[in-house]
Amino acid sequence: MGAKVKTIARRGSTLQERIFLIEIFKGMATTFGHFWRNLLDNSKLYVRHYPEVKPEIPVRWRGRHRLTSHEDGSVKCVACFMCQTNCPAQCIQIQAGERLDGKAEKMPVSFNIDLLECIYCGYCVEACPLDAIRMDTGIYSVTGKDRESFNMGIDDLLAKQGAFTEEDYKKGGA
Amino acid sequence: MADKIKLFVNGEEVEVESGKNLVDAVSAVGIEIPHLCYHPALGADGNCRMCLVGLEEGGPPLVPACKTPAQEGMKVLLDAEHIRKIQHDVMEFELINHPIDCPVCDQAGECKLQDYYMGYDRKDSRMTVPQVTKSKKLDFGGGVVHDQERCIVCGRCVRFLRQITKTGELGIINRTDTARVNIFPGRPIDNRYGLNVVDLCPVGAMTSSDFRFKQRVWFLKKVPSVCHGCAKGCSITIDHNREKYQDDIIYRFRPRLNQQVNGYFMCNDGRLSYRRENEGRLTQFRLGKNERDMLDVITGCNKEIAHSRKTVVLVSPDLSLEQMVSVKALAEKLGATLSGFSDGYIKTGDGDDYLISDDKAANRKGLEILGIDSSRKSFEEAMADAELLINFNNDLSLSYDESGIRSLLGDTRTIACSTHDDELTGQAHFALAISSYSEYAGTVINCDNVLQHFTKAVTKNNELPDVCAIAAELGSPLQNAGQAYAELQRAIGALSEYQPADIPAEGLNLNDSEAANVTA
Ligand code: SF4
Ligand code: SF4
Ligand code: SF4
Ligand code: SF4
Ligand code: FES
Repeated sequence: MGAKVKTIARRGSTLQERIFLIEIFKGMATTFGHFWRNLLDNSKLYVRHYPEVKPEIPVRWRGRHRLTSHEDGSVKCVACFMCQTNCPAQCIQIQAGERLDGKAEKMPVSFNIDLLECIYCGYCVEACPLDAIRMDTGIYSVTGKDRESFNMGIDDLLAKQGAFTEEDYKKGGA
Repeated sequence: MADKIKLFVNGEEVEVESGKNLVDAVSAVGIEIPHLCYHPALGADGNCRMCLVGLEEGGPPLVPACKTPAQEGMKVLLDAEHIRKIQHDVMEFELINHPIDCPVCDQAGECKLQDYYMGYDRKDSRMTVPQVTKSKKLDFGGGVVHDQERCIVCGRCVRFLRQITKTGELGIINRTDTARVNIFPGRPIDNRYGLNVVDLCPVGAMTSSDFRFKQRVWFLKKVPSVCHGCAKGCSITIDHNREKYQDDIIYRFRPRLNQQVNGYFMCNDGRLSYRRENEGRLTQFRLGKNERDMLDVITGCNKEIAHSRKTVVLVSPDLSLEQMVSVKALAEKLGATLSGFSDGYIKTGDGDDYLISDDKAANRKGLEILGIDSSRKSFEEAMADAELLINFNNDLSLSYDESGIRSLLGDTRTIACSTHDDELTGQAHFALAISSYSEYAGTVINCDNVLQHFTKAVTKNNELPDVCAIAAELGSPLQNAGQAYAELQRAIGALSEYQPADIPAEGLNLNDSEAANVTA
């Protein structure tokens, strides 16, 4: 679906235009025209009513990260450090430890992503050999009141589910 | 120097040393013949077949390079189609049942299977039947964790424990698919060199429980150094890293090849002595019990020194030569008695006839060469009427028990320059934190008279002064490392033609140089 393109001819050379004053009033008329029309009925606005109306996020959008889990809810990540190695912003900090539930030998004891430093490039997702980290939460706006709240810990990362069905996510090219 | 011979590799003439096998001979000129079971310290076993090369004329067309002595005029084929096919096939064979645990395998990044897969294989697995599974995470004792699935049964670990330590804890049980390395029931690896099997294992089948999962190896910065665990002074590599927002710490010591000193190996105690560089360190400067600025404490020390009518300066036998000459110059300037008394560093009967030495001091030979008196008698005589003791990191608790220290010190005031915060440092009137050997560059002489230079490896967030700097602050005429080294060159003739950076990596054997045994 291509956008409609309207070509506007360059103007400004006639005498009337060069006096300016008349043009200013004409401009004001347009401005106030929009003003009154939007004030009385804002359903025809040309911009999105954010934050009341949220944008639709495509599946391949790189939103806030999450760590995926096995069916029983345990973490999939095996602390291989591929994401940390690949991260150009060096904002992933992992500490590894022994895993005792038999799913793997190794697991992250702590897993931190500093979202203030993250550039949302998605290299971590691409590096992961186990599909253990994804950026499919659909969260595009990360806000907080202090710096610490942007440092996601392992529990924060595990808490959020993906915003799309598995099928759509796979179709999205992952 | 061994004789040189000429042979051809892929039609190109190379000159190599005679008396070596093909793997070693051509690797010295930068040509790699892939090999898994062969290790120079353990000899050729010929079981992996990774090293097969072609011979163009004379002899069999295909030979294992590890078992074939390099000979004049040999025509070795390495890049021929059929050799590449063999290398690929051997790799495919090794990987048939391999678990490809790389994401959780500590060896990843320094693994021969990974390297050779990238160099000689690069094909997908054709296996369609389920892989043979074996035991994982077996505790072999002695800090060694074994993974039977990753093992390629090269036998290096078995041969090490049979040939080098002669303890023979490991064996290979069964054949073919069911072959595994294991300990004998109830007999774990129990010898003081056991952790070397972790380095020897070309894959991740042997891992160290101490290093396990601490770091991925590609994050580690690797700096050559010298172990200070005993008088042998094994050449080591210090693997350290500063994680984000953390301090620079050491993750492991590994032996570094030095035919003059330790060969390929080192003992377990030395290997684990890296922990002492990370832990229990003194990082403060104290006046009595109160933490102060370094300059305040130094000023206090200088006043104390000026008032003292008799001062004794004690040095640790672990200090580098540069530090010893600095302290010696300080003692001469102050008119103080200098002692290197450190009998407690010697643990009689602890050493063996391989690497471990009775003497746990890294540089006792240095004390001798610089003529620093280390006898108990002269130290105790000097202490009897001393008003001030300046101790440069000599751990007196090794030489005396508690009451011994009390009667030795009496009401002598003490200045303790210390790397570690122990009880004695806590009782000192002045305590100065100093850097330890991983944090400075220096030169030491081992028990066999081999002089080695090591560089600074670790840079702490809060950098501490080294002994040379403290000695300079307390009035030593040698104000910096350069001056200390120049003084050292005067004392040790063999050093006169070397700058620190030029001292060979395997060290200088002072027994070889006449000049070494004179002067000082
Ligand atoms: S998205 Fe990019 S910058 Fe952010 S954590 Fe992943 S790799 Fe690092
Ligand atoms: S790459 Fe994947 S498995 Fe490896 S540490 Fe990162 S999230 Fe975990
Ligand atoms: S031994 Fe090598 S190839 Fe095998 S899992 Fe470990 S790193 Fe990977
Ligand atoms: S454990 Fe390692 S060194 Fe020992 S046989 Fe297996 S692969 Fe070789
Ligand atoms: S290295 Fe020659 S056969 Fe293994």
